Amino acid sequence: VDPTNFKTCEQSSFCRRSRKVQSSGSKYSLISGTLNTYSDSVTADLLNKENHHQFTFKLEALVGGTFRLQIDEKTPLRPRYRVEHALKAQPKTVTIRVQESDGELTVTSGHSKAVIHGDPFRIDFYENDVHVVSVNAKNWLYFEHLRQKTQEQALPDSGEQQQNVEVLETLDEPGSWEENFKSHHDSKPYGPEAVALDFSFPAAEVLFGIPEHADSFALKSTSGTDPYRLYNLDVFEYIVDSKMALYGSVPVLYGHGPQRTAGVYWQNAAETWVDIYTAETNVVSSLVNFVSGSRKSTPPAAHFISESGIVDAFIMLGPQPMDVFQQYTALTGTHDLPQLFSLAYHQSRWNYNDERDVTTVSAKYDEFNMPMDTMWLDIEYTDGKRYFTWDKFKFPEPLTMIKNLTELGRHLVVIIDPHIKRDNSYFFHSDCTEKGYYVKTREGNDYEGWCWPGSASYPDFFNPVVRDYYASQYHLSKFKTVTEDVMIWNDMNEPSVFNGPEITAPKDLIHYGNWEHRDVHNLYGHMHLMGTFDGLQKRDPNQRPFILTRAHFAGSQRYAAIWTGDNLADWSHLQHSIKMCLTEAVAGFSFCGADVGGFFGNPDSELLERWYQTGAFLPFFRAHAHIDTKRREPWLFPERTRLIIRSALLKRYSYLPLWYTSFYELEQTGAPVIRPLLAHYPQDKEAFAIDSQLLVQQRLLVRPVMQQGVSKVDVYFPAIDDKKNGDYWYDVDTYQRQERTGSESIPVTEYKIPVWQRGGSIVPKKERLRRSSALMLNDPYTLVICLDRQGKADGTLYLDDEKSYAYRDGQYIYVNYEFANNQLTNRFIGKPKYKSDAWIERIVIAGLNRVPSSATITVNGVAQQLEVEQRDAAVYIRKPSIKMDVDFALKLNY
Amino acid sequence: GEVPRPRGVSLAKAALYQPRSDGKWTCLDGSKTIPFTQVNDDYCDCLDGSDEPGTSACPQAKFHCINKGHQSLDIPSSQVQDGICDCCDGSDELPVVGCGNTCNELGAAAAIERRNAAELHKRGAEKRQEMITRGKQLKADRAARRSELGARIKEQEGLKAEKEQLKRNAEALENEAMEAFKEQQRELDAETAQAEQEPQQMRQEATLSFVRYDANKDGFVEITELMVDMNLDSDRNGVVTVEEAKYFLDERERVDLDAFVTLAWPRIKPQKMLAEGLFQPPVVETEQPKPQVPSTEAPQAPVVNDEQADMELGIDEHGHDGEEDNEDEEDQYEEDDEPDVGVGEATADSETSTAAPNYDPETQRLIEQANEARNAFDEVDRHIREIEHEIKELDEQEGKDYGRNEEWAVLDGECYTFEDREYVYTLCPFDRASQKPRNGGAETTLGRWDQWLGEGDKYSKQKYSNGAACWNGPQRSALINIKCALEPRITGVSEPNRCEYYFEFETPAACDSEAFQAAEQNQHDEL
Repeated sequence: VDPTNFKTCEQSSFCRRSRKVQSSGSKYSLISGTLNTYSDSVTADLLNKENHHQFTFKLEALVGGTFRLQIDEKTPLRPRYRVEHALKAQPKTVTIRVQESDGELTVTSGHSKAVIHGDPFRIDFYENDVHVVSVNAKNWLYFEHLRQKTQEQALPDSGEQQQNVEVLETLDEPGSWEENFKSHHDSKPYGPEAVALDFSFPAAEVLFGIPEHADSFALKSTSGTDPYRLYNLDVFEYIVDSKMALYGSVPVLYGHGPQRTAGVYWQNAAETWVDIYTAETNVVSSLVNFVSGSRKSTPPAAHFISESGIVDAFIMLGPQPMDVFQQYTALTGTHDLPQLFSLAYHQSRWNYNDERDVTTVSAKYDEFNMPMDTMWLDIEYTDGKRYFTWDKFKFPEPLTMIKNLTELGRHLVVIIDPHIKRDNSYFFHSDCTEKGYYVKTREGNDYEGWCWPGSASYPDFFNPVVRDYYASQYHLSKFKTVTEDVMIWNDMNEPSVFNGPEITAPKDLIHYGNWEHRDVHNLYGHMHLMGTFDGLQKRDPNQRPFILTRAHFAGSQRYAAIWTGDNLADWSHLQHSIKMCLTEAVAGFSFCGADVGGFFGNPDSELLERWYQTGAFLPFFRAHAHIDTKRREPWLFPERTRLIIRSALLKRYSYLPLWYTSFYELEQTGAPVIRPLLAHYPQDKEAFAIDSQLLVQQRLLVRPVMQQGVSKVDVYFPAIDDKKNGDYWYDVDTYQRQERTGSESIPVTEYKIPVWQRGGSIVPKKERLRRSSALMLNDPYTLVICLDRQGKADGTLYLDDEKSYAYRDGQYIYVNYEFANNQLTNRFIGKPKYKSDAWIERIVIAGLNRVPSSATITVNGVAQQLEVEQRDAAVYIRKPSIKMDVDFALKLNY
Repeated sequence: GEVPRPRGVSLAKAALYQPRSDGKWTCLDGSKTIPFTQVNDDYCDCLDGSDEPGTSACPQAKFHCINKGHQSLDIPSSQVQDGICDCCDGSDELPVVGCGNTCNELGAAAAIERRNAAELHKRGAEKRQEMITRGKQLKADRAARRSELGARIKEQEGLKAEKEQLKRNAEALENEAMEAFKEQQRELDAETAQAEQEPQQMRQEATLSFVRYDANKDGFVEITELMVDMNLDSDRNGVVTVEEAKYFLDERERVDLDAFVTLAWPRIKPQKMLAEGLFQPPVVETEQPKPQVPSTEAPQAPVVNDEQADMELGIDEHGHDGEEDNEDEEDQYEEDDEPDVGVGEATADSETSTAAPNYDPETQRLIEQANEARNAFDEVDRHIREIEHEIKELDEQEGKDYGRNEEWAVLDGECYTFEDREYVYTLCPFDRASQKPRNGGAETTLGRWDQWLGEGDKYSKQKYSNGAACWNGPQRSALINIKCALEPRITGVSEPNRCEYYFEFETPAACDSEAFQAAEQNQHDEL
């Protein structure tokens, strides 16, 4: 990437202005006598004591330990934008109790409490009387009210000059009423309108969240650097260890400490910068505290700075990591249970050139007996980048090609981007032109930018009529050259505009409702997805849509999976695939992956092998590559590489029942599918920042090999308490047990993916090989039981038809398996109504002290003896042959 | 009758699947002994998967389809009982799936296909036999010609030595006379004298080049003869186009020696010098005009401006970043028609340079004698070069691998084309592969003859390498996949990797009836 193509905070005038408050502080206070108390909220007027502008303040209590804080102007010159469509629904409120004393107002709801201080304005939030979040503790609240433009204020700004110019009031600063960046001009007709606020986390030691950045899981201090930036951008060959903005923006941030975890969701769709203060970097304040006799260091804090809109912040009080993740998904939703195929392996490349190419690649997977579920077509399949059309020369019979895939249980995904070729003979363009569906310039003309098709315009998906029109294009009566089994990839939806400022749309474009692009930028991709999701649901109401998107905002997880965009074929990008997806997962996007092999460049065979092994344990598993790269399908490498990749693929397919169950539970509870160690080991400070390992639910610990040429890796086994007690962990290949906590050096071969199953868990698997996941539907299950220190374990399994919405009508089997006292039993959660031909072929138990002589299974009072065999460090129970919807008890005999 | 054996086991392996007298059976790898009833009981007991030949229970197992009426087949266990009919007899799926038995139809169709293929190979092999005959004749002709030329070159070299001596003698006399004459003329224009030598030297160079270019020895240099000289690839796209070549022939179809010397050579020479690295772009401010070449008009020498020359020669006088301005420079190169460099520049009138000076009769006579001696020597020298050139060509051909029986030799010199939506592709076997946009535009070399590259049968694939470099990528290359057919043709071209082309080419040279039958027989034996 060339970083000079993108703004620094200093080049973004609102960031520069808002950040200045950090040295001087601001003076806001509640106006006494304006307080109103309602059953679920309090309101008051808020005063800027320096310019006497008045604001409205509202604090609302929501279900599940969450408060919502809103600050807007009391009488703005024009309405200020409030984010729509990010929340999954209007949040439910709860009743509050309000007490007033000593100028403090205490708002209580259940275990949650907010203490509001009037002057200076500040709110402290408590969970069970532990102080977990403060709002405006640093007095960095900064709210630029809308104002009339006067002649003198119209100074242009280059972003670099004017450093020595004395300015009396920050609002008269250059850049306030118009701003230039490189050759681009932002007209800024409404002048300065930034909002900014600080959040402190007194109980936290580490902050994380605010994807998407190619950076560590734990947020780094921004002292002396630019803030983290949230602005959806198409970044070519992005760099790692960077706070630069990327394709998605999810303004949710968490503070975590051994006792408490809390979070803040800053609901604002404008360009946003986030400054991070961490305790260890505040040397000066620590010294001050030391000198002043205070033992307490300054808590970690975040300063959110947005260009426009209002203050709309959700304060989520935890108390534990999983609680706060679920509080966030309760607000913005989760990905619905995807079709199983989308959790299997995807084969993509820019581009598979023609029908024969697609057919050949698919057939090669069969030739080498390797499973593959989905072929992808990038932009070249279209007729000249006109979406919803096909290149008839290269793809004369797409329906036949699709049928050849679907007959093997495979799928096709095709790309549909939001840039529309400006070609009068292209129906989509003429429709949008005639009906006025495009995003407009300030002057009211259709905006024209440059993208893949050349000159292009961009549908205004904020307009519900436009979304309906767009959704209807997916209908098979319109898009006749696909079938209802063909799914969709929405790329370039930041939106990417090759000749626009920072490769995106100018901020003074006008959207539906007369909002500026400035107000809604980070939501553009989200609105695009809403249209696509609606289109696919209407196309086939009984099939769950699968969509992959690059741009995303809070709530986009309800519609699409994401990938980490245009990464590079190098080891550092491989390492960042896990860091980035962990952050996305706690921000609602469990369905995350990275281009296996790296998008740009040519991976050598070792990097490709390790990347497949890593990708096999991220939720979205797709190989993809740039058009200029060499072909890299597994059989093009030496046999050894092909076999290693095959082995990684088989491992992925064997765990599909676990992935599928995890996604069902994500839909049900909002609990992330992949998790950082701190999610379940919140007290282990050494685990907080670990982002080379991940948990799959609370069942697997994954630490892929992501370094070149190593024969061992360091693995951290986390502690459950501060006495270094930990779980047992069983190597999934050998069932060798790890009993110690802390860092261990683990030897690895080129085939080894270091993965452990937690003692105390039961994992469902399918160990038979098929060409695609759909063909595994009726294959039998293996249950792997790994015992904890008490000789117990439990774990769930979910199954259904893997494709339709029938599960919403109860057509599923959801079962919890429990092992204790040498006996395995099952307990159905809900009635097992789905009829499955699958059965349990094998039960593996690791961690038994003695090898049983046999096992007895009892079904409906009928007992049957089963063979037991020891293999490696585990015991295998041969062929229980029980159907999935049957109650049973299985007892080990000695 | 059928030999009883578990489902999915081939006849050849039937003996391995017999229970012991105690009803037990041992895995084929010996790893375990299990009750025979556990063979094909849909649970994988053996490490090698040998206990489940008829189910999908062991991932590494194989299922044998008998496919009576067609070819029997081993499929991986992953394809057993997955709802897809993979065996034509339907034996891999349970009856409930409803696979029909299509083996007889498929078998019949395959038999017809095999017969057709056999027929094709048979008829193709006849054609190939002709190609072999011709190829062998060509080889013999080359050998005969080679030895003939070997003898002739010896003879000519003797002659050359003789003529060289005569020339040296004549030139000594000439020189003496010239020196004397020059002494008289020294007061006069010094440049004229210098100019005397230049055209002479120029003419000599030009004559030698003419001989080299005139490959067919008809006394004319034609466009096609220039097109082989990559130094004339003005736009550096890897191919000398007709237009490019024509430019150097003063826009004529062909030129004789005189026209070549006066019109063509002044255009070609700068390119040659450039190629040989001799060309030093002069600094305009300091450089004096060079001696002029005789010419009736100012030839439009290819323009080489400073930046371009810098780039080509790797000189960086201006501290320019060669890569950065690449495109701009190319543009300038094409657009700028004004010569601003001295080499090849000719502004003087030919009259003035060829007419002067007026020698005294004795000097004039000695000069003419020397000219005759030189011409005589040049002629012999030209002969030798012609012979050497032909020998080189013959040796090159001899170095190429034209197949086991010279069957490919007749294709050397032929070209085949294939058109798709955008391009016309050309394959000239043993020479080059190229691509030209259908809507006009320059031809691009996809590769030059490199080697045979077939796996197993070496002669089933050809590789053409070192084509024009791709923007931001490697040099283009082409792989030619070869099949048997009665008529030679290209049946398809694709670009599976960026800048790596794949041609499907058919020719009778690839038809081999015996090899085909042997392969058929081999396959049959396996079944």
